[in-house]
Amino acid sequence: MSNETNLPIVSASFDRRGFFRIGGLTVATGAIIAACGNPASSAGEVGRVGTGATQPTLLDPIVDNSVLLRTSASIEWSIADAYQRMLDAGNLAGTSATLPDLGDQSDLVSGFLDQHRKAAESFNALAQEAGGEAWTCGNPRLDSAFLDPIFARVEDGAAATDTAKEIPPSDDATRDMINLVVTLELLSAATSQALVPQVTEPSFRAEAMRLATRSARQSALVSLRINPGAYVTQTDAQNANPAATTTTVAATETTQDIAAPDDGGTTAPAAPPQTEIPLPVAIPSQYGSLAPTIYIGGAGDENGVRLKLNFETPSLNSFVYPFDACAEG
Amino acid sequence: MNVSKGTPRVEIESTQSGVEAEQRLPRRGLLTAGIAAGVGSAAASLLPFFGGRASAATSSTTGDASTTSTVPPKRPTEDDTTLLAAALEIELTAQGLYVRAIQTVDGWTEAEATVMTTLRQAHLAYGNSLSGLLGKSAPSTRDEALFNQWKSDFSGGTADVLKKAAELESSLVASYLDVLAKLQGLNGASLVASIITAEARHSTVLRDLAGVTDEAALLVDNEEASLLGNG
Repeated sequence: MSNETNLPIVSASFDRRGFFRIGGLTVATGAIIAACGNPASSAGEVGRVGTGATQPTLLDPIVDNSVLLRTSASIEWSIADAYQRMLDAGNLAGTSATLPDLGDQSDLVSGFLDQHRKAAESFNALAQEAGGEAWTCGNPRLDSAFLDPIFARVEDGAAATDTAKEIPPSDDATRDMINLVVTLELLSAATSQALVPQVTEPSFRAEAMRLATRSARQSALVSLRINPGAYVTQTDAQNANPAATTTTVAATETTQDIAAPDDGGTTAPAAPPQTEIPLPVAIPSQYGSLAPTIYIGGAGDENGVRLKLNFETPSLNSFVYPFDACAEG
Repeated sequence: MNVSKGTPRVEIESTQSGVEAEQRLPRRGLLTAGIAAGVGSAAASLLPFFGGRASAATSSTTGDASTTSTVPPKRPTEDDTTLLAAALEIELTAQGLYVRAIQTVDGWTEAEATVMTTLRQAHLAYGNSLSGLLGKSAPSTRDEALFNQWKSDFSGGTADVLKKAAELESSLVASYLDVLAKLQGLNGASLVASIITAEARHSTVLRDLAGVTDEAALLVDNEEASLLGNG
């Protein structure tokens, strides 16, 4: 048997010529219909078929100086609110099994809280100077996607689901909260730094960085409270290469071998034990970094995996636009 | 012969030309021409529609232009170059002071030595970054007057040197904040901002290392004076 048939090849009736013919007719018909329409009645309107609700008009998300500055204010408010929540819960006054030498950091963080409120007010003043309105509550995105989940995981754990077992509250809430303080201080400093190439006025840049210096120093100080003696990263220390300081300058000035320093009778404080939660370093990088800050906290799930979030500087989905408003209550 | 037939060669040639023309414009050609005409007429009929859009866009642009500030330049302007060159000289001065302290002061602990050398390298890196940004116009020497002003502070006991180094770092931060308030170019501003964040931490670390426990001092409640003066 053979599969050959004498049926006409269908595609033969739709060759290039046919395509041109159909195309020409279509365009010509379109031209006639368009010419017969009333341009005055439909100018600028998209055609509709059938009836239904009108399309909602989306507001234009313009990013200008005021949006950027009030977003910075919102980040500062979020940080202040988070600190207030920690202080109210007494988490920073508790003892930490992971960081037994930490001590009560409530007073320190209380001072940070005041500083962030002042920073928020400063950013709002700049936003108003730039023609925008002040923002008087936390950043909705930071609160809903980062801070609320962290507090929920640390304080309450997570309920069981069809596919995962229940996760208990944190095994060390004090550790998780003080690590969150470091993370938020780094975020605050990075947010101001990221603002510099985005705003158009030099005066805004300078004021943002003046506020950033405070956050940067707060991050360094609280890092040293958590991890005493951790001043610089191993990488930066190795790159600095202390052993190579006996160089070619004047002979009288090259006598000290800094690679074998005098202990001076001081002993370095004991570092906390290494865990899967990274310990902070006072100077985390040679330059101010805009890379995401990783936060790890809460109790582990059935596989021992803790909550892990990357904190990043604000972008399009976390800006506070002119049409945004603080939630009621 | 030509005369008896009464058909001039010219006309025959003309007919031939007409055949050639017909060969160049067969039905396919006619269709193509039809499409072109259709598109043209459609475009013409839609002119009011597009015209309305274009004018809206124009007015929108005009509206935006009235409310949007001028986009700052990326590269340093001439004034920026002067400011960044001054910052570069200060960084080289700071690096020189750290070198002097490391080499002349006795009794550094391991932690102190590590921090001092790391900060020395950091200042060198900042100088190199500024130099890269400035290109040929970058100065290659430190500010000798500033160096001489500070060099006596970078000798003596380690704790005293650490505290003086913290003051220098605070002065550097103040200097950069002054610079940043005047810089127009975004590349320079971004670099300066990343240096400010790092140098702010230097003061806290140096004071902690020197045994300072006062939180106001560790957090530098009172920034030192700028090294650039008011110029």
